[in-house]
Amino acid sequence: MAHYSTGEPVYALATPFSPSALAVIRASGDDSLSLFQPCFTGSLGKAASSSAIHGFIMGKDGHRIDEVMVIKYAKGHGYTSEEAFEIMCHGSLPVIKEISSLLESLGFREALRGEFTYRAFMHGRVDLTEAEAVEEIVRSRTGKASGEALMRLTGSIRDEAEKAKDEILDILASLEVQLDYGEDEIPEDWVFPTERAAAIRRRLESIAATFRASRLWSEGALVVIAGRTNAGKSSLYNALLKENRAIVSPVEGTTRDYIESDAVIAGIPVRLFDTAGLRETGESVEAEGIRRTEDLMDRADLVVYVIDPASDDTPPDDSRVLAAYSRLDTAGESDGLSFSSVTGEGLDKVIDAIGRKLSEDLTETEGVPRIDSERQRGKLLEAAEALSDAEKSLSFGSDVTAMYLQSALSSLGELTGEITGEDVLDRLFSSFCLGK
Amino acid sequence: MRDYDAIVIGGGHAGIEASLALSREGFDTLLVTQSLDTIGRMSCNPSIGGLAKGNLVREIDALGGEMGHLADSTMIQMRMLNRRRGPAVQAPRAQADKFSYSRLAKETLEKQSHLFLFMDTVTDLMVDESTRSAAGVVTARGWRITSKVVVLTTGTFMDGRIFIGEYDEQCGRLSEAAAIGLGDSLRRLGFHTGRMKTGTPARVRFSSLDLSEMEVQDGDSPMLPFSFDNERIDRPSLPCYVTYTNEETHRIIRENIGRSPLYGGKIVGRGPRYCPSIEDKVVRFPDRERHQIFVEPEGLGTEEMYLNGLSSSLPEDVQHAFIHSIPGLRHAEIMRPAYAVEYDYLDPLDLYPSLESKILRSFFIAGQTNGTSGYEEAAAQGLIAGMNAAERLKGEKPFILSRTESYIGVLIDDLVTKGTKEPYRMFTSRAEYRLSLRHDTADQRLTPRGYAAGLVTEEKMKRLEKKMEDIRRVKEILQHTRLGGKSAYDTLKEPDRDIMTLGIPALSSYPEQILTEAELDIRYAGYIDRQERELEKARKAENMEIPADFDYDSVDGISSESREKLKTVRPVSVGQAARISGVRVSDIAVLAVAVRSMKRG
Repeated sequence: MAHYSTGEPVYALATPFSPSALAVIRASGDDSLSLFQPCFTGSLGKAASSSAIHGFIMGKDGHRIDEVMVIKYAKGHGYTSEEAFEIMCHGSLPVIKEISSLLESLGFREALRGEFTYRAFMHGRVDLTEAEAVEEIVRSRTGKASGEALMRLTGSIRDEAEKAKDEILDILASLEVQLDYGEDEIPEDWVFPTERAAAIRRRLESIAATFRASRLWSEGALVVIAGRTNAGKSSLYNALLKENRAIVSPVEGTTRDYIESDAVIAGIPVRLFDTAGLRETGESVEAEGIRRTEDLMDRADLVVYVIDPASDDTPPDDSRVLAAYSRLDTAGESDGLSFSSVTGEGLDKVIDAIGRKLSEDLTETEGVPRIDSERQRGKLLEAAEALSDAEKSLSFGSDVTAMYLQSALSSLGELTGEITGEDVLDRLFSSFCLGK
Repeated sequence: MRDYDAIVIGGGHAGIEASLALSREGFDTLLVTQSLDTIGRMSCNPSIGGLAKGNLVREIDALGGEMGHLADSTMIQMRMLNRRRGPAVQAPRAQADKFSYSRLAKETLEKQSHLFLFMDTVTDLMVDESTRSAAGVVTARGWRITSKVVVLTTGTFMDGRIFIGEYDEQCGRLSEAAAIGLGDSLRRLGFHTGRMKTGTPARVRFSSLDLSEMEVQDGDSPMLPFSFDNERIDRPSLPCYVTYTNEETHRIIRENIGRSPLYGGKIVGRGPRYCPSIEDKVVRFPDRERHQIFVEPEGLGTEEMYLNGLSSSLPEDVQHAFIHSIPGLRHAEIMRPAYAVEYDYLDPLDLYPSLESKILRSFFIAGQTNGTSGYEEAAAQGLIAGMNAAERLKGEKPFILSRTESYIGVLIDDLVTKGTKEPYRMFTSRAEYRLSLRHDTADQRLTPRGYAAGLVTEEKMKRLEKKMEDIRRVKEILQHTRLGGKSAYDTLKEPDRDIMTLGIPALSSYPEQILTEAELDIRYAGYIDRQERELEKARKAENMEIPADFDYDSVDGISSESREKLKTVRPVSVGQAARISGVRVSDIAVLAVAVRSMKRG
């Protein structure tokens, strides 16, 4: 947060940096409209807030950069609550670049990641957990993922954390009462509630485990197409992407490195990789490609292993591997999943199989709210670990046990808002009868 | 020219510390009390210390306060509590001879130079309207005495009223007149007051007890001192006795509950949940078959015994009946009745962490008047109020202890940040960094602070330096002694190892106190490190000061609910702001950034 600021004029491309019909560039900060006005033929001053103004963006030397629509936000109106505007320009990369450098020459700096949300937060437009969720809605790519992020706003994670906090608070209160009153008054020694703590820990860990599943939805599953050289990987890749982005050639080893594309397969966002063929090779460039392929396969959520039915190749033994036999049109049906990139026959089955395989991961954790940030996962695991440390520390001294329980609480507290010593005392007084 | 530099109103545990701190720093101080015969009176139980409270006493001593000395010189039993439950939650507790304690307190005040004692009742304050600050006091007998600062420590006496069943009377303690008039004067000046309630049990005659029906509870031998100035205590030790209530006791109480002013609606003040009257316990916990009662001596040369656990406001005939239903007490001669007392307290949210009033400058308030309970809590505040009154006279910045360095810091921060709805008692669980707040390290934590403020003597500071040097040497010896392939230092980190049984000759010349402290440092090092990281975070927030004139309305990101609370408490730091109940975490984040950017800009 150290580099974030408010007020200082910043800009950012709000749409992906790739060729497309339209692109949106946002800017926010004090006097941002008057800073921008000299390079825009439309009149920003007179227009009402939230209205769109047509005009041309002009370079410093007077040439037209692009014909655009600009939406004006007066102070207190837009997302950041600062004076702001959005430029809708043509989605050509040179245009985007030129507008960006124009804005920089006008005194705008490129916004840091999350800075718009930070400004909205600082001006009281959103609170912390909302800010986090907004980040995720922006990042999420499919309808299902943004649904999840929206659920976060209504607080299912918060409920879970509160429940766990409540349970730990109970345990801590029963220990604290022993520590706050002498042995005279409460002579019994405190016994660690092993079963109860284990149940809380399991719950926290299973929520933490949903991080992977959630990441699949919001960042996309990493799907790698692998196999021997010339098995038909690139053809499948292109068929899946329905566009010619990988070079397909009958010469072995054309795809020396990997190629990455985003796609949605069976409703799941996917980062699809076409890789160099796996074969023994003396050529160093190609060997490097193969090493990278193996690397990718290690990280993959799913490997589609393409096999030429004419070869003696067999799929690697790994639960993440889906074997697919190519050349259905020439070689005919094989034992497993078969397809033809030429006729398209069997492709729907491959797509179904990919979808099924990926959703296996997601159904494992049903009934548990999903988390989608590394930070949340960290806090949950921290709390679970503190619980197990608490149990281990009992032989050392119950003052240390209490510290670990407190630390589990504060980890969860950081997910939901702070917990105070008063909470512990309230619990303690409502459940115990004390004299001295 | 003012009559005195400072006036302290009240001669209880808070007034003693406040007046000594001021006069020891060289300021002419007048202590005004309703009765010179009740200075340092222990109104309730005859004991000093206990869990968390014992830490307070040692912290008071470390800062140059008096309570540790008074307790050490008058104790008649001492025990270290929670020996089995970890050093961070252990604390000393002593039974004191309450008559000697009170007499010694008065003697100590009398011997102090720059300190003057005067018996009268303060009924009003003199106020310098031009600066809106305290300028002196007006008394019942018509004296108008001026001063530059005033410290108020009136305990339960402000509009106090005691209750015994249907009987009630305007008293601060049984048969001691309440302070009437001051409460009204303060309300007129704009102070916010409320009612609180507390109680005390009956006292019975020792020779009428059936000792054979009770368990004996002896103290520790040897007795350990509270004060870091004392190495050992050489005093007689008396036992306490333990007995239990039974079904019959509970039946008597239930049948007469309607005659209790607590349940009859006469008392409106809120009592402490942690120290309920016996009728409260019987009503709230109907399933409990018995409640524990401690029978404690009130002093040497007296037969009065205190019935710890039996505080009550029931009529005396009911008290007699239920006391006589308890084993050991069946023939008890009841010398003083149990009673409840209801009194005015002043809302501590009206105070800065220096215990100076936000409503009236140069006016400091300490003790039970601030809504606390307990001698130790009162003394701790008295000391801090006295020290800050002295800082004010010197024109220095306030003396504020943080939550990370002391229980006193926790106590005062809780009071002025959260306020209190019931008499506030110190608990170890109120301190989030208690592993670092062991009673035996109070001198390391606070003596240098007290020295810098001018209250701790050269001699005391030297003693601390020697102790630190000794501990350092012991650790060095441990690091250089090999035991079974590793250093003795590392050996001590294993469970069930004890520095006293390692058999290292070089250590034999060091006192047990030093060895144990070195051992605890070593054993707890890993855990302290862990806590230290948390502490660092807290310190950062604590060091982020909010200027006194900070305009909360200028930060539009703060919710209106939080804004109102912040404007009431006016926290001195972002850390304190974060502890105000009901202020949203996100508002604190906004505040933190706003304060930071203000500093930069």
